[in-house]
Amino acid sequence: MILFEVFLGGVLLGGMYGLIALGLNLQYGVARILNLSYGEFFMGGAFTAFFVIMLWQFNPLLSLFISMPIAFAMNWLIYQYLMIPLIRRASDQDALDADVVLVTFGLLFVFQGLALVNWSGDLRGYSFMSSPVHLLGATVALNRLLAFLGACALAFALFLVLRYTRFGTALRAITIDPVAASLVGVDVRRFSALAFAAGGALAAASGMLVSTFISFSSTIGVEYTLKALIVVIMAGVGRVTGTLAAGLLLGVVESLGGYLVDPSLTIAINFGLFILILLLRPTGLFTRA
Amino acid sequence: MDRRTFVKGSAAVVGAATLPTTYAQAQAAPAKLRFGYAITQSGPLGPGADSTVVSQYKLWAKRVNDAGGIMLKKFNKKVPVELVAYDDQGKPDELLKLTDRLVQQDKVDMILSPYATHMNLASAPIINKYGYPVIMTTSTTAKTYELGSKFPFAFWNISQPKESTEPMSKVLGELKKQGKIKGRCAVVHPAVEYGVEMTAAFVDAAKKDGLEVVFNKSYPFGAADLQPLIREAMATNPDAFLAFSYPPDTFMVTEQAQIVGFNPQFMYVAIGGVFPGYKGKFGNKVNGILVYGGIDPTVPGMDEYNKAHMAMFNRPSEAGAVNVYSALEVTQQAIETVGEIDRKKIRDVIATGTFKTLWGELKYVNQLNANPWAVGQWQNGEVVGIFPANKQGAKPLLFPKPAWA
Repeated sequence: MILFEVFLGGVLLGGMYGLIALGLNLQYGVARILNLSYGEFFMGGAFTAFFVIMLWQFNPLLSLFISMPIAFAMNWLIYQYLMIPLIRRASDQDALDADVVLVTFGLLFVFQGLALVNWSGDLRGYSFMSSPVHLLGATVALNRLLAFLGACALAFALFLVLRYTRFGTALRAITIDPVAASLVGVDVRRFSALAFAAGGALAAASGMLVSTFISFSSTIGVEYTLKALIVVIMAGVGRVTGTLAAGLLLGVVESLGGYLVDPSLTIAINFGLFILILLLRPTGLFTRA
Repeated sequence: MDRRTFVKGSAAVVGAATLPTTYAQAQAAPAKLRFGYAITQSGPLGPGADSTVVSQYKLWAKRVNDAGGIMLKKFNKKVPVELVAYDDQGKPDELLKLTDRLVQQDKVDMILSPYATHMNLASAPIINKYGYPVIMTTSTTAKTYELGSKFPFAFWNISQPKESTEPMSKVLGELKKQGKIKGRCAVVHPAVEYGVEMTAAFVDAAKKDGLEVVFNKSYPFGAADLQPLIREAMATNPDAFLAFSYPPDTFMVTEQAQIVGFNPQFMYVAIGGVFPGYKGKFGNKVNGILVYGGIDPTVPGMDEYNKAHMAMFNRPSEAGAVNVYSALEVTQQAIETVGEIDRKKIRDVIATGTFKTLWGELKYVNQLNANPWAVGQWQNGEVVGIFPANKQGAKPLLFPKPAWA
């Protein structure tokens, strides 16, 4: 029974991993920008939720109406005014990657610094839906379940958009080959900017959902950028449902490994799995050959 | 020459004749006292250093200067203080370079403690070499006991692993003798030096006190889910649950213990348990939880301090920060006793004196704080000191811990 609960805990944890990686995969997969300041929008989403519940005593879910549009707008601006000049001058994707990494690394410190100045470095946390839920005899936290359902809903919505809308088709075309996409009349710059902005909004949403059960501070962003990056690389760049699946795999392996082998090995198990996948399927689990 | 200029002139002569003595005195009194520190302001330890330590340096400097400065009785003059700060980026070698700089180039009058055990330990030899007395405020390790004789200029302010865990083991042993508990203890800790040392100290003490450690497991620092671990601990049916934890997991252990309905009669969390944010998150559920460090909220001056803290940072203080503030008070009192900046004399006063501070009465034996607050407990929404039980202001242990509401 406890094993089932551990498994279920792993599923929820994996949902969280998938959730935080969704937006990064949009940014990296479609817009081809490796945004190292991604986690700062996660942090922003968490803080917005914190202020909404602690200062104004509203439901923190409402903070999504604030943080998501702001993150969307900021990421759109970042793409239009910081990334486009880099894209224009880059001779190839490698040169662009190097520039982008440096610029977004700088942005990371700008956002983190602003957060530190305004919100200090204190550890924050709040209680929201932190009651137990009993599922088939196992106990899970309602807030973790909420984050998991949020991850599923967002991944599903994203999947629908990508598969069944004209906009999504254009995005998929850009993912596969931006040059060819522009040849058939896709406005690559405009759609990439929107995908990048949507990725930022998803980061804020995941920050809000995860903040219901994780304590956080102004400097937490980097940690989550790295977590998201591992999941994105495991899943394969540009794979949305794959991102969720890779996150789930990571979560379940971490939980079961920690329980069955030793809890202090969870990080080793995670990275072992990561290395294994890189060796066996270097382009990611869910990328078609 | 008319009379008036003569008077003026002779006054000038008399003035000039008497000037040298008074002038010399005035010059010898420094215009300000410079307190230098290199501390972690960037990187993962930055926020903790800022909220627990740097905030207190700034607050103390402001309060001292608002009161006119530190009294140097040799010059019969109050001298304002100035802070000289550097970022050591959490790197011991950087800390050493910057400490060199503080001494050689900035020629600061005093040096203040850096942040975190490994940095405090790295700092001890160099401040000792230069003969700067420093009260280390954020170092807890079993190694400390050997350091006193090695580095006479370093003082150690907070409770060490042995003193932090033995009183809990002792009280649990007594409860077992009284038949109130079976004496089963479950221990979890992150795989970092602090967690390992605290656990080792507790397990040792528990053996002596006739307790049974039925569960003892570590987890990686920064783990994302501790529920399986807590489940396992819960399954061993312990009376006492002790997490020798770091801030993020302190929060997580507390939340997930509630989720699974784990209600030990005795529950301890380590670092972070005294943070205002801890109560902010859990509200009244914190009552009865034991934590690392403590304070006596009724100490004289605490209200004024809390008000000044709130005014400066717009957030309440916590026990760890009060410890830092107390080290500054000791330093100030020692300087005022000596009456000038003579670091050897200041060191001797700290080593032998008794000091009234916001953290209670402080005295150092072999440079170790003789009786620091080791264990606190949340009672009625505030942290109070429980152990050492003989310390002034110590409150009785609230046992059993109320069940999660």
